Amino acid sequence: MNRQRRQFLKAAAAGGVAYAFGRTVGTLDAQMTGVGGFGDYKALVCLFLFGGNDSWNMFVPTSTAEYNAYSRSRGGGTASSLAVDRAALLPVVYDGQTSGDPTYGFHPSMTGARELFQSGRLAVMANMGPLLRPTTKAQYQSAATSGHALPPQLFSHNDQQDQWHSLRGRVVSKSGWAGRVADVLNAQVASQQLSLNVSLAGQTYFQAGEVARPYVMGAAGATNFNGFATSGVGLGRRGAVEASLTAALASKTNTIYERSYASVQQRAVQFADRVNGSLATARDFSALPNTGATLSGLQTQLRTVAKLISVRTSLSLSRQIFFVSLGGFDQHDDLMADQPGLLTTVSNGIKSFYDALTEMGMENSVTLFTQSDFGRTLTSNGDGSDHAWGGIQLVAGGAVRGGRIYGQYPLLEIGSSLDVGGGRFIPTTSADQYAATLASWFGVGASDLSKVAPNIGAFATRDLGFLG
Amino acid sequence: MRRLLLGLLFAVLTACGGGGGSGSGTSISLGGSGSAPSNPPVTTSEAFRFLNQATFGATEDSARALIALGDSSNAYARWIDAQISKPTSLLLPAVEAAYPNPVPTGFNIGSLNAVRLETWFANAVRGEDQLRQRVAFALSEIFVVSQIGALQNLPNATADFHDMLARNAFGNYRDLLEQVTLHPAMGIYLSMLGNQRAVTGTNLRPDENYAREMMQLFSIGLVELNLDGTLKRDATSQPVPTYNQDIIEGFARVFTGWKWACPTTAPACTFANTRPQLAPIAGYNQIKPMQLFEAQHEPGEKRVLSYSGSALSSGLIPANQGGERDLRAALDNVFNHPNVAPFISKQLIQRLVTSNPSPAYVQRVAERFNNDGSGRRGNLEAVVRAILLDTEARTMPSGNTAATAGKLKEPLLRLTQLWRVYDARSTSEKLGAARNFPGGANGTFGQAQGSSPSVFNFFSPFYAPPGEIADAGLVAPEMQLATEYLNTQTTNFFWTQVTTRTHLNTARLNADDVYIDISNELPLAGNPDGLIDRVATRLLGDPSLLSTELRAAIKAQVERTTIPATNPTPAQATRVGDALYLILISPSYALQR
Repeated sequence: MNRQRRQFLKAAAAGGVAYAFGRTVGTLDAQMTGVGGFGDYKALVCLFLFGGNDSWNMFVPTSTAEYNAYSRSRGGGTASSLAVDRAALLPVVYDGQTSGDPTYGFHPSMTGARELFQSGRLAVMANMGPLLRPTTKAQYQSAATSGHALPPQLFSHNDQQDQWHSLRGRVVSKSGWAGRVADVLNAQVASQQLSLNVSLAGQTYFQAGEVARPYVMGAAGATNFNGFATSGVGLGRRGAVEASLTAALASKTNTIYERSYASVQQRAVQFADRVNGSLATARDFSALPNTGATLSGLQTQLRTVAKLISVRTSLSLSRQIFFVSLGGFDQHDDLMADQPGLLTTVSNGIKSFYDALTEMGMENSVTLFTQSDFGRTLTSNGDGSDHAWGGIQLVAGGAVRGGRIYGQYPLLEIGSSLDVGGGRFIPTTSADQYAATLASWFGVGASDLSKVAPNIGAFATRDLGFLG
Repeated sequence: MRRLLLGLLFAVLTACGGGGGSGSGTSISLGGSGSAPSNPPVTTSEAFRFLNQATFGATEDSARALIALGDSSNAYARWIDAQISKPTSLLLPAVEAAYPNPVPTGFNIGSLNAVRLETWFANAVRGEDQLRQRVAFALSEIFVVSQIGALQNLPNATADFHDMLARNAFGNYRDLLEQVTLHPAMGIYLSMLGNQRAVTGTNLRPDENYAREMMQLFSIGLVELNLDGTLKRDATSQPVPTYNQDIIEGFARVFTGWKWACPTTAPACTFANTRPQLAPIAGYNQIKPMQLFEAQHEPGEKRVLSYSGSALSSGLIPANQGGERDLRAALDNVFNHPNVAPFISKQLIQRLVTSNPSPAYVQRVAERFNNDGSGRRGNLEAVVRAILLDTEARTMPSGNTAATAGKLKEPLLRLTQLWRVYDARSTSEKLGAARNFPGGANGTFGQAQGSSPSVFNFFSPFYAPPGEIADAGLVAPEMQLATEYLNTQTTNFFWTQVTTRTHLNTARLNADDVYIDISNELPLAGNPDGLIDRVATRLLGDPSLLSTELRAAIKAQVERTTIPATNPTPAQATRVGDALYLILISPSYALQR
């Protein structure tokens, strides 16, 4: 493992990671003005559904044989049923669908997602999840003795979140794949006035680079420092804070905790004005209005993302990856009562964000994609489902070749060739393939893809084709 | 004067009430035992370090009281003795007292969670049982329940759960694990309440939620550990999982058949119809352990953990022995797993003392977990003593290990220490009403008691911030809350606290606004060095812990405000505010040494 780890680091270093640890974006700005750069703007928005979305209910078979298998597996007609009524599903016609093919529909609460799908702006990823290599049921069952590589700690929340975030497999890694995208694109984005990675939803492994650092801001924007001013005692106060942080970072006698804290505090001071100053000039969006509508927490995050995109020029931004999230998906209980509200939030969030992008003509430059801890069991624990593996993800944006289903949507039958027990499905498309496809569109070169998605070499298809 | 008297009183009480020296069973390598005259006294810096580990924030008074208890060979153990004998501060009585009777139509029961939080702040800041409360808080970050989610409208259960942790803080881990398992707050939070046996011929099978998280988070963790907390590795140097899906399903079957305890007045009570009783009437079930309904319990055999020395050599709990016996056998099976001692010991060390304890330190505490000296396993009092009296906790950091010693203070503890030191109060006598914090305490500090976003706590014990900490393979769990955003929120909170919420402004404050008393500092406003020394002494224990650069920056800033001859108080307050602010937001104060 250590050898693998070293190779991984070596690969990251070879990818043109130019700056040493500890140097801030601010000093980089001064040193690398005007170097490299992209001629266009692109952004990725990761919408993470924390807890493990029961996605078999998000996009459901509607054709008779396939729906019946789904309904049987979910206990349709019993008191513990987890099956959505067939008649209530929002049917779609997908690209390439011919007579006799299985048909599908969105959960009844997802009118916005269905509309985007039908207009070719949203694609469905079927049965996707972390994999280190293609895996059959026999390989899964004999993995303990055969050594067939599986993601460690399958079905565990934090471990599988980590897999989606980092694609690390069994290798110890401190970076997430968005962080590594920032690492490999470092030279091209060196003049950006803000980190490539921005989180609206707290600290993430996803955005930590081997060297590049994300910036974490509030859902509604960055916060200013109340004691600071641009003149007088308030300016002095800011100077006092900055001077003491600089000293704390340089101190050889300080602990690692003080230096780590000081580096965040320094970035907070450095970016607050810059971000808020730019956001003050951001445009408004009728799809995500500032006033007059009750926005979900997710929409508040997405509105801030849209506003930041609208001021990209003033911050010299050409590439950004945003992280937004929605929690509450760990529905061991009350799945049928509570999932509709969550999926409404997802669908409305994606649709209103897409609409906001079109208002500023940026819909072809921004791609939103979902991730979630894992799919869930088809079987019921009474009124909910438990942790599983493969599931469905959504990708939306003008650059998406939407209206299609990518990968193989399995027959949702208990005991089928992909079911490892209780309706836990082995993914047939990997999170690495997903990341590689997104990263390629974003501008990561073919030779750098394996740095972003380290397991991509195990899969025949490096680009799933849903972008560009 | 009142403060000083209180401090002296505290010293006298603790010296008389506790000094049995019952900590003598714990070996510490501080040189000597008993009261040999050669033992040096506890220094103020040492006292601050200890009290920041064992309380919600060191103060000058509490340091003096500790120092007065003896010398460096016995003062700490005597202090712990006295603390253990203190009555437990509770949350539930305040929530029950606030419960309206009768309940008005449309009453928002969830609003009572605020009472729980206010009471928690009051106990943390003023409670006499500081050590018990600090350990209970640490336990609440391992055995997590949260008002966010299904417990929203069960404020009594959430409060009682924390009280249960506090009662067990010096008890036995096995008892604690059972009380956690059967507490209805946990039953709701991780959906064991209402979990039932599989029904043949249907897709219904037991809920795996509690089974999984109990093992992953509350007891043994995901991978096998050595006694010193380091990972065991297999032949290919991969970590070794402690359990698999079969074992999770086995425990899920164990945890079937439990639901709300039947009200004594309900003879027709069944698994299907038993419901929570909301109002705090006598014997109400919201705070009673869950009750077993045998008919909904899975009767078949259950696969559990298999390890050397397990009482269940087959790794199976036999069929048909009933739900109560199944539960006891399963919890014994977990309790005796060799991972529990290093897994729980290390996390308690991380919450109380340091993010990166040496393996030898973890092992010393884990050994105490496995055997408290009298053959008992799981004695948490012995574990807490071992953690706080260990040489790694008591010897002041120096040399190679100084850079990794200690930890970042949890954001809430940065707040509670300030409030303890500066005699925080409000006109309404509430501490920590939500209006003090933009977005609530969670929105300002990223944490609030009983308000974690998930069972995975506010931060992970494995979190390694990017940079030199991750590069070195070390961790800093609390750094997960030190985002640019939350640091700014917290910084602004301190700004508001030291500038507008002081005793000078009480007339302008809301009755629930917590204000601090800066009357000791105001007379020093004209003497910047004296002012800085005073604030640093109160907050850090020793003004020499301020770096030269930080001191210079504070002094220059203090001097930017000119004190006029007439009406000098506002300018004096600004000077005091700047000294406080710049220290409170500094890395020096954020560090728990």
